[in-house]
Amino acid sequence: MLSRVANNLYWLSRYLERAENLARLVNVNQLNSIEAGASGHDGDIWDAVLYATGTEEAYAKARSKAGDELSVGSYMTFSASNSDSIRQCIAQARENARMVRDQIPEEIWLELNSIHLFMRSKASENLWQRQTDELYRRVIRFCLIYGGLLESTTLHDEGWDFIQIGRYLERADKTSRILDMLSFYDTPDRNKLASALRSCSGSAAFRAEFRGDISIDNVASFLLFSPSFPRSVRFCLRQLDGVLHAISGMPNGSFSNEAERITGNLLAQMNFSNAQSIWDTGLHVYIDELQQKMNDIGQQVFETYVLLPSEINDIAYTGAWQAQQQQQ
Amino acid sequence: MFANDSAVFPHYQCVRDRFEGLGLDDLRDRQNLVDSGFLEQGITFTVYGDDDGTERIFPFDLIPRIIPDKEWQLIERGLTQRITALNLFLYDIYHEQKIIKDKVIPEDVVKTALHYRPEMLGVDVAKDIYVHICGSDLIRDGDGRYLVLEDNGRCPSGVSYLLENREAMKRAFPKTYQDSSVRAVDLYPDLLLKTLQHISPRSGQTPVCVLLTPGVYNSAYFEHTFLARKMGIEIVEGRDLIALDGYVYMRTTKGLVQVDVIYRRLDDDFLDPTVFRDDSVLGVPGLMDAYLRGNVALANAVGTGVADDKVTYAYVPDMIRYYLDQDPVLESVPTYLGWRDSDLDHMLHNMDSLVIKAANESGGYGMLMGPESTNSQRAEFADLIRNNPRNYIAQPVVSLSRHPTICDDHQIEGRHVDLRPFVLYGEDIEIIPGGLTRVALTKGSLVVNSSQGGGSKDTWVLNH
Repeated sequence: MLSRVANNLYWLSRYLERAENLARLVNVNQLNSIEAGASGHDGDIWDAVLYATGTEEAYAKARSKAGDELSVGSYMTFSASNSDSIRQCIAQARENARMVRDQIPEEIWLELNSIHLFMRSKASENLWQRQTDELYRRVIRFCLIYGGLLESTTLHDEGWDFIQIGRYLERADKTSRILDMLSFYDTPDRNKLASALRSCSGSAAFRAEFRGDISIDNVASFLLFSPSFPRSVRFCLRQLDGVLHAISGMPNGSFSNEAERITGNLLAQMNFSNAQSIWDTGLHVYIDELQQKMNDIGQQVFETYVLLPSEINDIAYTGAWQAQQQQQ
Repeated sequence: MFANDSAVFPHYQCVRDRFEGLGLDDLRDRQNLVDSGFLEQGITFTVYGDDDGTERIFPFDLIPRIIPDKEWQLIERGLTQRITALNLFLYDIYHEQKIIKDKVIPEDVVKTALHYRPEMLGVDVAKDIYVHICGSDLIRDGDGRYLVLEDNGRCPSGVSYLLENREAMKRAFPKTYQDSSVRAVDLYPDLLLKTLQHISPRSGQTPVCVLLTPGVYNSAYFEHTFLARKMGIEIVEGRDLIALDGYVYMRTTKGLVQVDVIYRRLDDDFLDPTVFRDDSVLGVPGLMDAYLRGNVALANAVGTGVADDKVTYAYVPDMIRYYLDQDPVLESVPTYLGWRDSDLDHMLHNMDSLVIKAANESGGYGMLMGPESTNSQRAEFADLIRNNPRNYIAQPVVSLSRHPTICDDHQIEGRHVDLRPFVLYGEDIEIIPGGLTRVALTKGSLVVNSSQGGGSKDTWVLNH
């Protein structure tokens, strides 16, 4: 398939995965802040969200421009100055889809275009004002429909593999960021732990796996190392490892490019770690290293399948290809 | 739809009965159904110079335009004759230039055309075909005759709307459509693909055809993806292609794949920055080299713009007589040429009754509708013409025929229409029955371009 198409499919799914994760994260914290607001302590909840998404400075800037009226929720959901707001993520996903319309099933395009038209309309802001919860549920529902349509209406060919890469890389990144939120507090209380799990849709799964024993060790182990929870970093890396080999045709356990090598290496590390390995370095540093490696994987996929070998060190090419696709 | 004495033409009876039987609400419902369908499917175009909400749907009118078989046969013959002559003309001016030597067309007209490409002199293009896809705009005058208003021999667009309009009509009026014995149009993508494959330089394998688009911000981008999807070929941007050692390849995840035929929806100027405009980032450096070596084919060929130049247009009837020894089946609109002194005088003295057009513009840009113009607009155009007479032509205002159209408040009124049929020139010449009927939605307006507030209708060519 065309390299550009692979690139578009990758970003399409990446942006949608990002929108879904953000919708969940903001919604959970919105609900928490209502709870905390009743007791007058909602400030640090939003600080943690900004910290996790790496948008503290950008938000402060946008807020001073908007005359202190801009809430974090609104910034994360609608803001045009936030290139990763839910509205912008969906618009970006739709833009990528538009460029490869001939490659994706009609139903997916119709759903995506319709949520895009809704999100950029006044109606979505009105709904958010009235029933905040409902807006996020709608976004999440769309993302689930998208996932289902993808599973059942697209060819599971190379294009699908690139869609999977985007999805699992983004998901692993978001799960690790949500976990990183906990390192924002000295000793995260039970509420904070529960809210991290909810932000990853993992409460019920966690209870089943750890019999409800909610502690920072268990939550971190669960979100990082769970072999069966589909949003854990380890699970995502295992999927990633599989699709990378499907694309290259190399047998599992070997590698033919840097993306495969780093993924395999990281996966092996995740397969043989426990909570103690986190505390040896500290949660935040551990996650920082993890994210750095996942960024490397994304970059290596790009260099292997999108750029020609002669272009890799040429900043002009890399720039032109990524002009619309700002990296994390 | 109506003859002059306001009797209904017999081929319209069925549709007329249907629309007369519709209540206002029903009409509105169907219109909404069709419009929201277009928007949701993203069947939109982009308006240049409009920063806000750049995508719009192309307004669609529910009342179809109907052409009986006999009229269509005439159009078909006329267009076949025309594309044949245009192709012979292009071959000639890029080879022996007999038509110039025989003084049928002045050398200046050809050589000063903006889109004349000296690079193509002496070059043999595949199968000697230059214009593979042509969209000629037809209008009808007061006597009901079809006249050719202009030819679009570079990158004519609109065919996707033609096909989507048909789908919309089939959904909105299934019964009427079924009862009317309308000829199908949906074979267009297959015919187009065959036309492209016909010029492949490599034999012995299924040719690799691609559609080259300027990209997602182009006003016709929807059409590009639509056609690529229907033909099952790749849609590529310039950066997806690379020219190496005289061949063109596309960049895929499995490496480079050689390309045989490029259906380019990009003007000559942007094809190759090393030959044409060097500031263009849309094209492929080295593409012209591969093309001139015959290793890749382009549709349409490079240099066809000289044939749809509005000054050349005035000579098409002469071309038809010269190359084919036939009289033109379809007449042209009388045209005054700025570079002829006598005509220039006439143009400048009768600006208020003429349509003035820049020779190389399209899309309704760069033109003056004399009767509707203000003094200052006329003065501005008079200056433009005096400064560059070669670049301007004038035609009398032909009152385009009007067609019942649903207007504001869902009233049915007459609006001016034209017709753009699409002609394909491959192994055979194929014209899909019908064309894009464009309609000027503003009352009294004669400008039908989508960029200037025009809409469209489905066009039904009947079996009888």
